[in-house]
Amino acid sequence: MSSNHGAEAGAFGVGATAPRVGGLERVTGRQEYVADLPHGDALHVKLVTVDAARARVDVIDGTRARAVPGVHLVMTPADLPQPMPRFGPQRRDRPVLAVGETKYHGEPVAAVAAETPDAAEEAARLVEVDYEELPAVFTIEAALATGAPLVQEPSLRPGDPLATTNILREHRYGWGDVEAASNQADVVIEGTYAFPMVTQFAIEPHAFMAAPDGDGIAIWSSIQHPYWLQRVMADLVELPLSKVRVFAPDPGGAFGGKQHAKYEPLVAFIARRTGRPARLVLTLEETFQAVRRGAAEVRVRAGFRSDGTLVFRDIEANYLIGAYADIADRTVAKGSYTSNGPYRVPSVRIVARSVLSHTVPSTAFRGFGNPQQIWAVESNMDEAARILEIDPLELRLRNLARRGEAFIPHETPADGDWAASVSRAAELISWGGPRQPGRGRGIAVGLKSGPTTGLSYSTVRLLGDGSVVVYAGTSDMGQGARTIFAQIAAGELGAPLEWVTVVMGDTAVVPYDQQTSASRSSVLMGNAVLAACRDVQSKIRTMAARLEGLPDDGIMVDRGEVRIGERVLPIREVLVRGLGRLGGEVIGVGEARKEADPDHPLGGTSAFYEFNCTAVEVEVDRDTGDVTVTRHVTVSDVGKALNPLQVRGQDEGAAIMGLGHTLMEHYIFDEAGRIRNLGAIDYRIPTTMDLPLRMESDTVENEDGPGPYGAKGMSEGALLPVAPAVAAAVRDATGVVIRDLPLTPERVWRALHPELTGAPEVRQAIEGAR
Amino acid sequence: MRAFAYERPTRLDDAIALIDGHGPDARPLAGGTDLIIRLRDGSLRPRIVVDVKGVAELDAEIREEDGFLAFGALTTMTDIVVDGRVGRDYPALAEAALFVGSVQIRNRATLVGNMCNASPAADTSPALLVYGARIVATGPSGTRRVPLDEFFVRSGVTTLARGELVQAIELPRPTGRRGSVHLRRTRRRGHDLASVTLACAVTPDGVTRLAYGSVGPRPVLVLDDTGLLADPTAPAADKVRRLEMLFAGASPSPTSMRASPQYRLAMLHVLGLRAVATAIERLASGASQ
Amino acid sequence: MSGMNAMGARHPIDLTVNGQRRSIEVFAHHTLLDVLREDLGLTGTKECCLVGECGACTVIIDGRSVDSCLVLGVEADGAEVTTVEGLAVDGRLSAVQRTFLETGAAQCGFCIPGQLVSAHALLADVPHPTRPQVEEGLAGNLCRCAGYEQIIEAVLSGADLGSSTADDGRDQGRLSTPAMGDRSATPDAELAPQ
Ligand code: FES
Ligand code: FES
Repeated sequence: MSSNHGAEAGAFGVGATAPRVGGLERVTGRQEYVADLPHGDALHVKLVTVDAARARVDVIDGTRARAVPGVHLVMTPADLPQPMPRFGPQRRDRPVLAVGETKYHGEPVAAVAAETPDAAEEAARLVEVDYEELPAVFTIEAALATGAPLVQEPSLRPGDPLATTNILREHRYGWGDVEAASNQADVVIEGTYAFPMVTQFAIEPHAFMAAPDGDGIAIWSSIQHPYWLQRVMADLVELPLSKVRVFAPDPGGAFGGKQHAKYEPLVAFIARRTGRPARLVLTLEETFQAVRRGAAEVRVRAGFRSDGTLVFRDIEANYLIGAYADIADRTVAKGSYTSNGPYRVPSVRIVARSVLSHTVPSTAFRGFGNPQQIWAVESNMDEAARILEIDPLELRLRNLARRGEAFIPHETPADGDWAASVSRAAELISWGGPRQPGRGRGIAVGLKSGPTTGLSYSTVRLLGDGSVVVYAGTSDMGQGARTIFAQIAAGELGAPLEWVTVVMGDTAVVPYDQQTSASRSSVLMGNAVLAACRDVQSKIRTMAARLEGLPDDGIMVDRGEVRIGERVLPIREVLVRGLGRLGGEVIGVGEARKEADPDHPLGGTSAFYEFNCTAVEVEVDRDTGDVTVTRHVTVSDVGKALNPLQVRGQDEGAAIMGLGHTLMEHYIFDEAGRIRNLGAIDYRIPTTMDLPLRMESDTVENEDGPGPYGAKGMSEGALLPVAPAVAAAVRDATGVVIRDLPLTPERVWRALHPELTGAPEVRQAIEGAR
Repeated sequence: MRAFAYERPTRLDDAIALIDGHGPDARPLAGGTDLIIRLRDGSLRPRIVVDVKGVAELDAEIREEDGFLAFGALTTMTDIVVDGRVGRDYPALAEAALFVGSVQIRNRATLVGNMCNASPAADTSPALLVYGARIVATGPSGTRRVPLDEFFVRSGVTTLARGELVQAIELPRPTGRRGSVHLRRTRRRGHDLASVTLACAVTPDGVTRLAYGSVGPRPVLVLDDTGLLADPTAPAADKVRRLEMLFAGASPSPTSMRASPQYRLAMLHVLGLRAVATAIERLASGASQ
Repeated sequence: MSGMNAMGARHPIDLTVNGQRRSIEVFAHHTLLDVLREDLGLTGTKECCLVGECGACTVIIDGRSVDSCLVLGVEADGAEVTTVEGLAVDGRLSAVQRTFLETGAAQCGFCIPGQLVSAHALLADVPHPTRPQVEEGLAGNLCRCAGYEQIIEAVLSGADLGSSTADDGRDQGRLSTPAMGDRSATPDAELAPQ
């Protein structure tokens, strides 16, 4: 490893800012991502698409493409098993190649495999596709209109009463009696809020490779869930799991976009058909056509007593998901189930729909369905505060659930002192303090449930010299899981951090892990690694007992040390003596589960909550609509910061990503549903020049999480409330309420100048002389 | 990217012969920051790319010549940003050059290339227009000088004749004090294509020159010689009316995804007023010309 | 003037990459990024947007940072190119490489080679930049993991350490794994299991 600070055993145990494991590779250019892997004998794959969102594909003619020197295969739907294999984590609705009709702009109708990228590109251009553009639906309104074209054929949805609509599923949650409660409210605040369609924009474009591997197949993918992918692939190519080996090199950023299979099946079919390794590296434009977040329109009606006490909430959310379900409907379910937020509200009704459309299939994206509704509910809270003439901070504190409170019936009770995070954020931004003229402040909170089920295994080998190998099936996509596991093992087994190797990303070697998502890994895999270390410790204890001729229970092993009565020995010393002249090693296995609950609407209760409070100060240029974030404060309840440096990195990264969808990011479509701003020139994300003038991140640590040493997951929280906090600050600065994102200069300007812009396409409400 | 032939001539005559001989099938390459994007996306498909960086007669020098400052064809935006003379005498150009892309882009992108692409959104065009820039073009029939205002036709089209290469851009030396500035509107603070770009220069004789881009098929130069705009005491409302007249020719594209025509026009006026105010201030302070 | 090169012909070029002379033949339509990654096997330089927006492909050519996706390989004939692989000298990390590790600037790491190359180019020009100068200098390098704060801090503190490859004896800078210390406790080799 890159440091010798850890030569003292345990110096970089949990709670320390250990340097990133894998950091050295990352600063020297030696870290290998999928596209960097040797591929000397691989065929290069290029997707063939048509310039339409929805089109009937009549003829695909690969004659001219096949004539290009170096071309091995022009794969059309006819070259795949019949009926067309379909896959997907929620529904098997996504075909390997479009069948008969494309469902979104960028859906491949064929693919070319050739000796060189040049030949593949040239041939892909020469594949002649006869198609006719068909009317597409790419807004919620159009998709729900009567007589709208159906995105999915009803035959794909047998027995589904909604099969003749574009509603994939409708979710209903709630408690109490909203109708009755409506009469008890002194004030009812209602609004509809829109969240834009945005994309993950991991800097590493998705890359895939597949190769025949003996009598099986090997897949390389920058994937978050290698074991899930293994199952999907085994299913599709009809092989036992043991014959499908998935390599998952560390992804170059994922943010949810790399959870589930995308083009691995296509590449695998090409590899099997040609008998050659096949490789597909997407362009950034193609990744925009592969993954995105669901857009949403959320109507919120909330009733308050005049003292600010919430009496009911009535939420109706429509999510514009894509043409195939991917994991989108699950994001809708999870984002809706907790959309009432961290509040104590006696009556709540939540209706949420997954609306299919002729757009890129939406999938998981940091926050997993929550940011859309948090935008709506927290903006609504801000409007309520204004109308009730109660400080927005005060209004939150008044309604916030206290630790242990069952704020959602039959669900994990509030697992933190959430008010502490809110107060800390308010304090950092000097909430009540004086403001410069032209500036405004806003505050908002975000809550997201963690994993509802989980299963992680880990194996830990304490080698003969006291060094350690940890096997963990998590994907380290930048969140730093590898470092956390190494820290746990180093601390528990008394090895210097640089003596710990963490092996990940190979399903043939590393034991099963359900998935890398929902900020679960520090908690679930962390617990599995900890359990495996404890297993090693108990074997060391037995070893010490044998060496000392004492009973086991006279000996304690913990945090790298063996205690025998008064004596304290390093684990390594016992190990070396215990292994003796034959050497060997001590192997521990660990497991962590979060059991399912079949009666729970989500299939299980939340393992923990991510809670964040964000407070911002903005300056608005009334002439241009420019919003400058002058201060950004983000406070997360993390239970225990296992590595404070990484916690900060996650919080700040999430905060800036949140500023992206708040201020500038969105897909723009033409009138036929084609994406106009494909690629980095016209899809803007924040740069170093777009940062808040001052960023402060802080944590609340009460060691009250279910993870190792009291940790909770924490990688998404700081993104959740950014948009409503910024919009509230804009309102505070200007008096104008904006309910659509992103807050582009033009949108803010329109809201500020309704007299100039007439009936604006922007939904807005101008604060009157209330 | 599709294959093409590549030549790197060392003499201007040879470069011109190649460009002339292949006509529309040839593309000159200097900084490449626009060309290579378009080669990749297929919007340009030349049979031959002529890299002019080896041509002995072309250079990246910023030269003081008799009565003007000349920018060689290979002068990059970075060269302009760091040049003290440009910062002193042509601050709007220095400011505009700093807005072009990132450091990496400015290290490659050339001023001449920025003009030859004739993008209506090009950041340096308005500044060059208000400073009265001339294009020095050399072709099969010799060298000629064209005022920049007569160089632009519309997006991507200039009055450059077949076989002509731009050898330099010349800016007349300021004859007296001048206050000038460049402003723009973008979707974020980090580098971005301008949705409005504007430069303004005010001279002690009361003449205000304004040039603006990204609100029509080509950048436009307008002049106020009534003394109204340059008058620090004139009422803002009068200035607004004057700007309305001067900007009457602006016709932003209705289909752009970067900003609506209405917003662009409104911002043109905001930038116009702000630029006039800054230029007057700079003229008065004498800190820059 | 040379004869007209055919479309798709290979062009011989000589260039210096990270101090090493290389003579290769490249296609005119291949970018320097393609040449580095595919022909020279230097995959530290990354590929993302291919339109000069993200900076993942940043390299230094003759002292100036550029997006290698917007440079043709043939244009690099005769040039000196520095990639991320060339930032460490004689097995020691540069000051900025070290501070990137210390501040936690590298998360997924995909943008980091470009960030580091830009940081080196900046510090070569402006050895002690202000924060706004760092923001400006790195604006052409997108990172989607970080909030940029730790990256900016790394550049600022790298500047304090000196932009050259400082030899301050700290093991932080070592490229190889440090020695494992006392290994006498490992089992005798001749007693290896049979
Ligand atoms: S890949 Fe070159 S700038 Fe993005
Ligand atoms: S570290 Fe992941 S993109 Fe920058």
